[in-house]
Parts: sequence; C-alpha cells; structure tokens
Amino acid sequence: MKHGAIAILPLALGAAIYGFAFGLLAAQVGFPWWGVGLMSAAVHAGSSQIVAVEQFASTQTVIGAALAGAALNLRYIGIVATLSDVLAGLTLRTKLLAIHITGDENWALTMAERAKSRDVGAAFLMGSGLVMITVWTASTIAGAAIGAVLPNLERFGLSFAFTAAFIAMARGLWRGRPQMFPWLVASTATIAAVSLGVPKAYAIVAGTACGLAMSFFLRRTGRVLA
Amino acid sequence: MTGAHWAVIGILALAAFSIRVLGLVAGGRIRASRHAWVLDELPGLIVISLVAASLAGQPLQTWIAAGAALGTAAVTNHVIATMVVGVMAFAGLAAIGL
Repeated sequence: MKHGAIAILPLALGAAIYGFAFGLLAAQVGFPWWGVGLMSAAVHAGSSQIVAVEQFASTQTVIGAALAGAALNLRYIGIVATLSDVLAGLTLRTKLLAIHITGDENWALTMAERAKSRDVGAAFLMGSGLVMITVWTASTIAGAAIGAVLPNLERFGLSFAFTAAFIAMARGLWRGRPQMFPWLVASTATIAAVSLGVPKAYAIVAGTACGLAMSFFLRRTGRVLA
Repeated sequence: MTGAHWAVIGILALAAFSIRVLGLVAGGRIRASRHAWVLDELPGLIVISLVAASLAGQPLQTWIAAGAALGTAAVTNHVIATMVVGVMAFAGLAAIGL
C-alpha cells in the first residue's frame, strides 16, 4: 500500500491544482467549503463534479445537473471492470471501498505497474487511491476556502503533467504490434470525436469502443492469436 | 447550503458509485465468459484514448512536448521521468514563445 501511495504523489500534485480550481468554482455557486469537501469525498470524480456544478450554476436544475455529471463518468464501467482480477479475493466491503477510491490516475498507474510486475495489485491500487482521494478532497476544500489567491500554475506546464503521465502509462501497457491497430483506431476516433465537438469524457468512451471493435475484428479474422 | 445543493451532492454521489458497481459486476461476468480478452485490451485502449483526448485540438507546443514525453517513455518506461521531461519540454517551449 505504501508503494502505491508514494508512486502516485507526482500525479496527486496535478490533481491538487484542478481540485483547487474546482473548489473555487463550487464556492462561487453557493457551496460552502465543507459542502465542497463532502461532495469530493462522496463523489470522487473530478470531471463529473465540475460539469454538475457548472450545470447547476447555469440551469439550477438538480436532476439534470447531477445526471449530466454522472454521465461523464461512464468510462468507469470499463475501468472498474478491468479491476476484477486485481480485486479478486477481497471482501465485498473492501471491493466497494477500492472502486470508490479508484480514479483515472491511480487506476492507470496500477495497470501500468502491474504489466511490469504481477506483485502489484489491490494494495497498490488502494494505497494510491487513498492518497488521490485525500489530496483531491483537501485541495477542493482549500480552493473553496481560500479562493483566488494563487497564481495561474498552468502556465508552468503542470496541466501537461497528466498527459505525460498517461503517455508513460500507455508505454507500460504496450505489449507489442497486435495492439497497434486497435490503439490507432481508438486514438483517431477519440481525436475525431473531440474535433467534432463531443465532450472529452464521451470521446474517450467512443474511442475505447472503436478500439475494442477493431480488436474484435482482428481476432475474428484470425490476425491476432487469442 | 440549500436543499438543492444537498440534492446535487447526493444524486451525483449515488449515480457515480452506481456506475462503479456496475463495472464491478460487469468485470466479474466478463472475466468468466469467452470475452475475457476484452479486460486485457481495455486498459491500454482507455489510456490511449485519455492521451488522445488531452492532445486533441491542442497547439503544436503540446504535441512536441508529447513527442518528448513519448520518447522518454519509450526509453525509460518510467512515469516520473516521463512527467519531468514532458513538463520541462512544455514549459521550455512556452518560454521561447512557441
């Protein structure tokens, strides 16, 4: 667990910046700092929270805002599904805790590290997840409580840190040429969807589905060994 | 905090957690089926889609920095080294006004 908690720290720094910005946004539409913290701990889904709060601010509709935010999280069906092997053998209560503290960053880091060593498993996922949810919650509270006193840290390139980290994780998950066409299809479809104005969270789901379809096609035509 | 604020938090938390539970149930069923290969393919596809989504529509500076990060990842296969090189490339390009 300690291994995962330490390994995720650079990514947690990036999450803290977005968390601070989200806290600021939420405070501006009437959420107190403790309400922001409660939301971050209970929901633990950055993009969903941002969209829900934005929708709530602009439309004042509760159900619509909450469901719009939740819909952005649909990729977690696939993300959590891939954890079935990692979570095997845990109690149901521990599994439920593990999936709640799983986010994009600690999931991807766990899968990339697990591709290198099968010793990486639930303890790594949960150690990194506990750090991420703690940092996320604390930074959103700080954003709501302190407000706009920090300079714009994005100009120092910290926003790119996530992209670089995911590139490294993709490298860790790369198993060779059989993945080339599915990955090419997934990335092309995602970029095309974003270019057409589709929100990024949906574009990720669409790109993943297209890549999966290509994998299925290659397997059906016998071009990849099952 | 009004009742509407409470409701947004409650409904969003319930919906987000339900999606995760759905994934947990689906994962178990897929793993036990003849489509278990899907679970081996999904991580790479989701991560590469995350990368593509963050690069889509970005300026040349971001793509060059991504190239530097990719080169570092290919050589080192190390997350932190890739982040350091990527962020330095991004900040360096911004500093020279590219």
